[in-house]
Amino acid sequence: MKKHLFLSVVVLFALVLVSCAPAAAPAEEAPAAEVVVEEVVSGEPEVCASDAYGCAVIEPGQTVKIGMSSPMTGGYADFGIDAENSGLLAVADAGDFEGWSFELMAEDDEGGAEGGAAVANKLTADPTVVGMAGPLFSGATAAGIPIYDAAGIPMLSPSATNPPLTAMGSAVFNRVPFTDDAQGSAAANYMFNTLGFTKIAVLHDGETYGKGLATIAKSEFEALGGEVVVFEGITVGEADYTPILTTISASAPEAIYFGGYSAEGAVLTNQMKALGLEDAVFFGCDGTFGADYLSLTGDNGEGSYHAKPKDPPASDAKGKFDADYLAAYGIAPVVLSPFSYNSYDCTTVLITKVKEAAVVGGDGNLYIPRGAVVDAVRGLTNYTGISGTYTCDEIGECNVEGPQFMTIVDGAFAYAE
Amino acid sequence: MKSNEKTTSPLKLRNVVKYIRPIFGILVAVYIIWRFYLVFIVQNLYGPETWTRLLISGLIIGGVYSLIAIGYTLVYGILLMINFAHGELMMIGTFAGYFVFEAAKNISIPSAGNPEMVFANAYPALSILIAFIVGMFVSATTGYFLEKIAYRPLRKAPRLIPLISAIGASIFLQNAALLLFSPQTRNYTNPEVLSRGDGWKILINGSMVTLPYTGVFTFILSILLMVGLLFVVKKTRLGKSMRAVAMDKDTAALMGIDVNQTISNTFIISGALAGSAGVMWGLHNGMFHYFVGFIPGIKAFTAAVLGGIGNIPGAMLGGMLLGLVESIGPTALDISYQLKDVIAFVILIVILIFRPSGILGEVLAEEKI
Repeated sequence: MKKHLFLSVVVLFALVLVSCAPAAAPAEEAPAAEVVVEEVVSGEPEVCASDAYGCAVIEPGQTVKIGMSSPMTGGYADFGIDAENSGLLAVADAGDFEGWSFELMAEDDEGGAEGGAAVANKLTADPTVVGMAGPLFSGATAAGIPIYDAAGIPMLSPSATNPPLTAMGSAVFNRVPFTDDAQGSAAANYMFNTLGFTKIAVLHDGETYGKGLATIAKSEFEALGGEVVVFEGITVGEADYTPILTTISASAPEAIYFGGYSAEGAVLTNQMKALGLEDAVFFGCDGTFGADYLSLTGDNGEGSYHAKPKDPPASDAKGKFDADYLAAYGIAPVVLSPFSYNSYDCTTVLITKVKEAAVVGGDGNLYIPRGAVVDAVRGLTNYTGISGTYTCDEIGECNVEGPQFMTIVDGAFAYAE
Repeated sequence: MKSNEKTTSPLKLRNVVKYIRPIFGILVAVYIIWRFYLVFIVQNLYGPETWTRLLISGLIIGGVYSLIAIGYTLVYGILLMINFAHGELMMIGTFAGYFVFEAAKNISIPSAGNPEMVFANAYPALSILIAFIVGMFVSATTGYFLEKIAYRPLRKAPRLIPLISAIGASIFLQNAALLLFSPQTRNYTNPEVLSRGDGWKILINGSMVTLPYTGVFTFILSILLMVGLLFVVKKTRLGKSMRAVAMDKDTAALMGIDVNQTISNTFIISGALAGSAGVMWGLHNGMFHYFVGFIPGIKAFTAAVLGGIGNIPGAMLGGMLLGLVESIGPTALDISYQLKDVIAFVILIVILIFRPSGILGEVLAEEKI
């Protein structure tokens, strides 16, 4: 009996171990043990003593790590894969600094708050992580900010658009995309003035980003004089939203505005068609833009609207990035998600600022004063990236240009007039 | 007098405890009736076409829940164990069916009339049949090995141990699928005769209500499978041995029944049902990924408890009821759709307050292990 019990425990343990292994597989191997002792170091430059967060010490042979926190598995994986693709190109373009190379640590946060906090804890535990090009999703960002804040890791998010994020009073958090204030009112204006809708339904996925955006769109649309007949949340991750769509169809709105991501947006779009909502337009957001939505909806997606950042102006950097991206991954940027250019820019900005602040100490180690990098990112002025020129204000909004709406014509995204 | 006082005060307390559950149940029932009254009489926003649509979607999802719930109930009836990896058997069936349809889509059979004809559209019935057979076979095989590897060595262990093993197996299967098939969401390609979104149109109250082909197909097939299962359990030698093992393993063994084989057969049957539910899920809902089995698995477990775990007709009834409550509940009670699971579980609690062993469940005479 005892032997059996022991065996069963061993089997269980093995099962659990095996089951854990794949989840951990995408992660890099555990960071090498690092000795950062402030007072012992002899070659420490003076700047470290006065820096608010102290210095990151990179020994010769180690890499300088830039973190990234995005969904890489599950229904939103395309966003994370796109960001990682772009970030890897940025790291490759950045080259070395005094013999130290840079490394992108793209971690999977599944887009949610729990994952965002877990990734933040993992990355802040690694003393060689000096920047965070993300997180991509607002929910993960809100959960991660306090953790990165405490560790003094500068954040520059390519896509976290939820408005209150920059109002949390964090010194380290900055972002480059338009906010949902801009997107929500632009969408409401577009639906009311350009498309001429007066009666819409507004749905959201109940998450930080989706609900925030939907609330703004609803109040803006009502302020314009339109009528919002239904304002409802859905539960994420389900495959059947026919009951709520049925209820909506009873009030016959002209459009359904959805704040959320493509996984749920695609299900909604597909199921609208058989429920008396054939003529209603699906109006999504930057969370529903991407190749995933196209392939999951097929013909049903025709005529739906989505948002993405404004196209960057043609430049040498953009041309090089487009060519590199296509050569490396076989697809064009801004196909998987709207934020390819932003992800590249964010990673590049962080690396640039790290390089500017880094000092080689007398003992041959590389010292990166964290507080100086945090200040440098917040103080970004007239930095020209692929997406445009960034200047961060005092709360960390670096680019507030509004969204570009896209519609699907013949199975491809096209500019909406 | 004094002794009287002493005996009444704990009695009073006991009375309160005794009545607290019925009182809670009645309060919830009154609240539900009040909401019904508001929605149907006072507001009366929705016409019969809305209710018909909700009913249709409830019955379809209910049929899938029922099929999965039967797997829980069969295993529980025989081993008194909750097979938490059951939802993953369904997920594996979904993948198996998907690959059959992908293959059928890519085998081209050019004919004179249509040079772009593919197998899936030339022989839709055959490709659907193959998809179901493959889906059921793969899931049944997985179920068989699941029992052999994860549960059989633990059969004499305390009850909690196989439960934990089941959770481990569930996580293992999810991650195995994640590694094998990538995390991307995939989309079923149905044969044209069963294309999603199409269906018979019925005119109700001036509005076209679609009776989707996939939904009708799913519902009828799940009913057929359940009837077939009842036949197997009640009328065949295999069913007789299953019932005997469920009643008393030791005595069944003394009567010459191969207990291990019977338990294996139970897992094969429950796996096959989960596999067919998986293919149906794919045909009707289209989108799926490695995590697709989790939510239906939990819901079906709830359905099995609702109907009375261990009782096969109870699992069917519970599944249908849960599907209908989820679909109609939020609209009928005018509560946010984000709370649809809350509504379903409150109703579960109310039913369990009045019938602790489920709707059709009987109180078990003795522990089976």
